[in-house]
Amino acid sequence: MIFFVALLPTLVNRVSFQYTNYFLGQQKKKVLNVIDRNGIDYYLQGDSAYASYTMLKEEYISLVPAIRDNVRDTIEISRRVIEKDTLNYRILIHELKSDNKNYILEIGKTTSTIGEYNKLLQRFTLYILIGLILLSLVVDLLYTRILLRPLAKIVSTKLVNRKFPFKEPLSPIKTSTTDFKFLDSSLISLMVKMHEAFDKEREFTSNASHELMTPISVLQSNIENMMMEEGVNDEMQEKLLGLMKTVGRLKKIVHSLLYISRIENDQFARADKVEVHELSEQVMEELLVRLESKSIHFTNNVTPGITLLQVNRDLLFQLLYNLINNAIRYNNENGSIYLSDSYHHGKEYVLTIKDTGIGIRQEELAAIFNRFKKSGNEDGEGFGLGLSIVKSITDFHGIQISVQSVYGEGTTFNITLPESSIQKNEGFR
Amino acid sequence: MKVLIIEDERPFLREIKAFLEKACYLTDAAYTALQAKQMMVENEYDFILLDLGLPDSDGLDLLNDTKKMCPKASYIILTARGKLEDRIKGLDLGADDYLPKPFSLLELQSRMHAISRRKSGNNDPVVELGDFNIDLNKRTVRFEEEEIEMSRKEFDLLSYMLLHKNRPLTRMQLSEHIWGNFSDEDSDSNYIDVHIKNIRKKMGVFAPVDWLQTLRGIGYKIKI
Repeated sequence: MIFFVALLPTLVNRVSFQYTNYFLGQQKKKVLNVIDRNGIDYYLQGDSAYASYTMLKEEYISLVPAIRDNVRDTIEISRRVIEKDTLNYRILIHELKSDNKNYILEIGKTTSTIGEYNKLLQRFTLYILIGLILLSLVVDLLYTRILLRPLAKIVSTKLVNRKFPFKEPLSPIKTSTTDFKFLDSSLISLMVKMHEAFDKEREFTSNASHELMTPISVLQSNIENMMMEEGVNDEMQEKLLGLMKTVGRLKKIVHSLLYISRIENDQFARADKVEVHELSEQVMEELLVRLESKSIHFTNNVTPGITLLQVNRDLLFQLLYNLINNAIRYNNENGSIYLSDSYHHGKEYVLTIKDTGIGIRQEELAAIFNRFKKSGNEDGEGFGLGLSIVKSITDFHGIQISVQSVYGEGTTFNITLPESSIQKNEGFR
Repeated sequence: MKVLIIEDERPFLREIKAFLEKACYLTDAAYTALQAKQMMVENEYDFILLDLGLPDSDGLDLLNDTKKMCPKASYIILTARGKLEDRIKGLDLGADDYLPKPFSLLELQSRMHAISRRKSGNNDPVVELGDFNIDLNKRTVRFEEEEIEMSRKEFDLLSYMLLHKNRPLTRMQLSEHIWGNFSDEDSDSNYIDVHIKNIRKKMGVFAPVDWLQTLRGIGYKIKI
């Protein structure tokens, strides 16, 4: 295309010159016809030479006696002086014999008129060309749109709007293009495989946890009975207590894993309505002793009258419990915890839990929701599975959770719910 | 009180048996559903502790059958399955309680007590503790005619210790009882101390509370 555009001026030039040559040839024929019919004197009228030109000197015809013999028909560009004007002409030169005298016939046309043709022609061609390009662009675009429609559908149904894990069954899209069919079926089989692997992992976690329950029970009851034995001295008692604590930790971990796998396996119904303020008060009641023992100041600024729809009450209780419990656990003596909410009209509802605790280092922030991620705290105590449980509860409900923290100053958790999942009581501001 | 323990995990069964015998229960053990049925034909039981994962039958099916054979007995389901549906199904089939594994033997005993108390009506619900009277049904603590106000958790803690009187109770056991699955690994132990301190403060106003002993490094004990 570019090649064609680059060549265009030359091409147009050639075309217009060819046309001029043809035009000059025609004029020559006319002149010769007239001479044949009327004899050369019709032009010469007694003079030895004849010349005629149009008003603007665009064309001229001249007939002069030949100085030389045997001049061949030629077409050339050369200068002629006509009435003091020197102009460039394309000239056809022809030698003709009449009354035993040789004459030279010249028919000329100014190159500037040829150039004008030329320009016109060029512009016209350019317009057509631009039009063609635009047309082909539009057609191309429409055509590829139609052609690629299945691809867009594959991307939107299989990739973009998909949330892991892929719970809903996958249906192949309708298309007659084999390549897309292949892509679609490959994607489906990949997703099925991923889902299977994920399922297997969940099943494994669930089964392994269950299997661990019985031996832990044995251990625990064993130790409990031993502590009851008579003749167990204090030193022994303390060792047994240590054992019991270890078993207790083991139990807690297995419980948490089971809990997470139960959430992930959709074993909780989402059929409750929960009033946020009421729920937060209940959680606080449960945690009151812990607050008091650390002299932590707690402020509950949650607006009464906001109800969450289609949630699981127990899970939300656990969610809030874990977050506030963490806020207490990683707080300093005489620290503070603020619970507040904000409602962005037409958008979302945000519940915020802010503490003035020890904070989380920036590099650890990304990993706090991961299972078994240990924090770098001096006491070596990890976040355990508490926040993993939080994450699985928010995922289960489709709630967003985010965290900001300044090390040494405190941590803020934001829980964001879409407006569609909340209900405001009447009289709410 | 006669108890039948149906549990295929032998070491575990042995421990439950030893524990209950120490608490003056008469116990029988069955490892399979078949054995259990035979025993129920031959004996009458007050309590039947039923594991759901038996080798020859599903515990819930067994429960369905045995409810007819031993209608008077109280059933407690012991299970590692812990599914909500199992729990609901078990209680629907007439089980009196449901205890997910792993559980503390003390918790088991406390549940058995609660069931007995529920079933026997107002049969001696008031227990004497030093100079105090504790009504387990009404959940009140009295000194002579004066009622002492206790929070829910404080009362739970007191009644639990009372049930297991003269026995050292670790902070972990106590916190598991009052917080259940919400209990944390280590940190809860401190909060038990806060509760105990409150109990001592509230009751100590009226009379000495020296029956509530602190066991250094271990936990607490009510000694009568």
